Amino acid sequence: MPDWAGPVARYILEEGLPGTLRVSAIAVVGSALIGIVFGTLLTIRFWPLRALLRGYVEIFRGLPILVTVFIVYFGLPAITPQLRFGPLDAAAIALVVWGSAQVAEATRGAVQSIPHEQHEAASALGFGWVGRHRAVILPQALRRLLPPFVSLLVNIVQNSTLAQAIGGIELLQAAKSQSERLTFYPPAGIGEIHAFEIFAGVMVLFFLISFPLTRLAALLERRLI
Amino acid sequence: MKRIILATVGVAVVAVAGATMGAAQPAATTAPARLEATAPLPKLPAEIASRKRFIVGVKCDTPPFGYIDVRGKHAGVDVEIARWFARYAFGREQRLTFVCAPTAVREPLLTNGRVDLVISTFTYTADRDTRIDFSRAYYKATGRLLVKNNSPIQSLGDIRGKRVATTSGSVYDRWMKRCFTNTDVLVVDSVTNAVLAFNQGRADAVMFDDTSLALIAATDPSAKLTNDLFLEGPYGIGIRQGNVQLKRWVDSRLELMRKKDIFQKIIVNNIAPRFVPAFSKNILRPNNTFGYRAATLPSVDTVCP
Amino acid sequence: MLLATYDLSAFVSENWRELLDGLLNTLKVSAIAIAGALVIGLVLGAARAHRIPVVSQLTAVYVEIVRNTPILVQIFMIFFALPQFGITFNQFTVAWLSVMIWGGAFNSENFRAGFGAVSYRYREAAYALGFTPLRTFLNVTLPIGGRIALPSSINTYISVVKNTSLMYVIGYEELTTTAINISNLTLETLEALTVLGVVYLTIVWSLSAAIRLLETRLALPEAR
Repeated sequence: MPDWAGPVARYILEEGLPGTLRVSAIAVVGSALIGIVFGTLLTIRFWPLRALLRGYVEIFRGLPILVTVFIVYFGLPAITPQLRFGPLDAAAIALVVWGSAQVAEATRGAVQSIPHEQHEAASALGFGWVGRHRAVILPQALRRLLPPFVSLLVNIVQNSTLAQAIGGIELLQAAKSQSERLTFYPPAGIGEIHAFEIFAGVMVLFFLISFPLTRLAALLERRLI
Repeated sequence: MKRIILATVGVAVVAVAGATMGAAQPAATTAPARLEATAPLPKLPAEIASRKRFIVGVKCDTPPFGYIDVRGKHAGVDVEIARWFARYAFGREQRLTFVCAPTAVREPLLTNGRVDLVISTFTYTADRDTRIDFSRAYYKATGRLLVKNNSPIQSLGDIRGKRVATTSGSVYDRWMKRCFTNTDVLVVDSVTNAVLAFNQGRADAVMFDDTSLALIAATDPSAKLTNDLFLEGPYGIGIRQGNVQLKRWVDSRLELMRKKDIFQKIIVNNIAPRFVPAFSKNILRPNNTFGYRAATLPSVDTVCP
Repeated sequence: MLLATYDLSAFVSENWRELLDGLLNTLKVSAIAIAGALVIGLVLGAARAHRIPVVSQLTAVYVEIVRNTPILVQIFMIFFALPQFGITFNQFTVAWLSVMIWGGAFNSENFRAGFGAVSYRYREAAYALGFTPLRTFLNVTLPIGGRIALPSSINTYISVVKNTSLMYVIGYEELTTTAINISNLTLETLEALTVLGVVYLTIVWSLSAAIRLLETRLALPEAR
């Protein structure tokens, strides 16, 4: 392995990987929780809430995720200084917003695909709306949500790279700054361009994370249909 | 108890500030701040003092002023100045959080309160001064043009109709867009990428500060600087507008560093020996003081040749 | 705080020229990328649906790489890494090329599914009538499969338009870059974000509505 590769790889994994993991973890958990709640609420009969949530879903699925990132990072502090987040947190929040919109839509579809007989049977047994959903509807719906959820996981991990655009230190930004450093003249760098090797390495890293999950999603899709 | 101490410190600070306010000079001063031998040095603003850390925006891709070295640590002239500030303020140079501040986001970082200071090859202009405050000048820089040896561009006037790379939001970016409208300005996010574009043929020339470009011209035999000197603009440290106390603190420490010739030490630490003499002429030293253009003159990047 | 000084009309009237330039750049890049993705999708999708050797396998590799790596990394590869081999594109070219490559991969999956969904009965009938495989494809599989693939294909094109915003990272002056650069100078962040939101949602929602319209119009009589 060439001399320059060691420090570069170490920096990318030590400084970049934690950023990616942090953004991805927050985004996945947040989107799942909020998305499932919103999605279930999208099926109730109270139309003002439905309209509000429908607006939320359509807006944040329609906007480019980068624009949502800018809204969180630049826009929120302009409304009130309390909402000033660092680049990684802002990216995570933006991904939660986007992810929850995706999950909400998928959950709505899954809940609505549960046959009406289940609702009727549960009511006949004395379950209220909340109880019915908690004990009967959601468990079945969540099984159907598994394939799109795994796809969402892959998407979120890949979209964590958007934190780079606002200066967050994650895998891609670490790779970029190391690749730039190498082009400096010594002693800061070595005056050579190795952008291809470095970015190819990052690509392989993301591929190794995403590919098994994509296969898993396809498998679940076939098994659960 | 803590609140009482904080309140006392606050009152003392206000008293000192009030006392020095009378002898204060306007932000864009052309003479160094006068420090009486007996007056105490200005204190840090309470917010930073209680946080016990400086949050400083620095360049992460512009050697020798701010870059990430092979061990993954921040290094460079500006970075070391920040470390000295941390030593002065808190006694330890680790009491720092660095934020990468590429050219385009230096001002937003200050106006949005994400950093306390920006030490990032930040050229003073009267225009920028309307949105943020600058410390006193600490480094004299001039704009230069980097071209290939046999390039058709041999002087500034030749850039009409050619592609010139520079960093987004820099004085050069605005100056060229204003004064050289038929020049194709290629904006990138860092001088490194500008030079990369130049070497790859995406640009015919690079316009940037003499400091970075001189190093590159010296180590690349196929490129050279034209003889033009333009947009002479010293670097200042960016401070949030209205934070008079912090500005006072920064100016006083810069004066201290000038008197003790610390800038020379920093230059020697960061720059190869054969370039040290050239850089030494541009820093604050016991026998070398400089300031900004008079505030009444228009901003350098609005004056066309 | 800044909410008090929100003035959308002032922002638009001062900056409409640059914003319009940005929007035109977005549309230019999108148009080229969509056209390219359409062609790539048709050709490679057909190759995979008909299991043409070598091309199928290579397409599969291409699709998996594009689908399983972040598009931002792909953009950086084209912009920063290709020059290492002497291939240097300007920012505009990188913009449409990267989104086209990304969109083409997804689109080839769309058309593969579309062509694959064409019932074998139709192809059998065509062969029985003496059509060559190529003629069969052009006259039977393509029209039917293409219509089946249209909704998912347009979804990919919508994503292509949204992904042009990512050209911010290479400094190409499309709409998002322009708006954010202006807002960094003038601090009219909320106004800039409003403009971005309205423009993108208009584009995306119109195209989505178009899909829904087409879905009902183009539904095959026996599509169940």
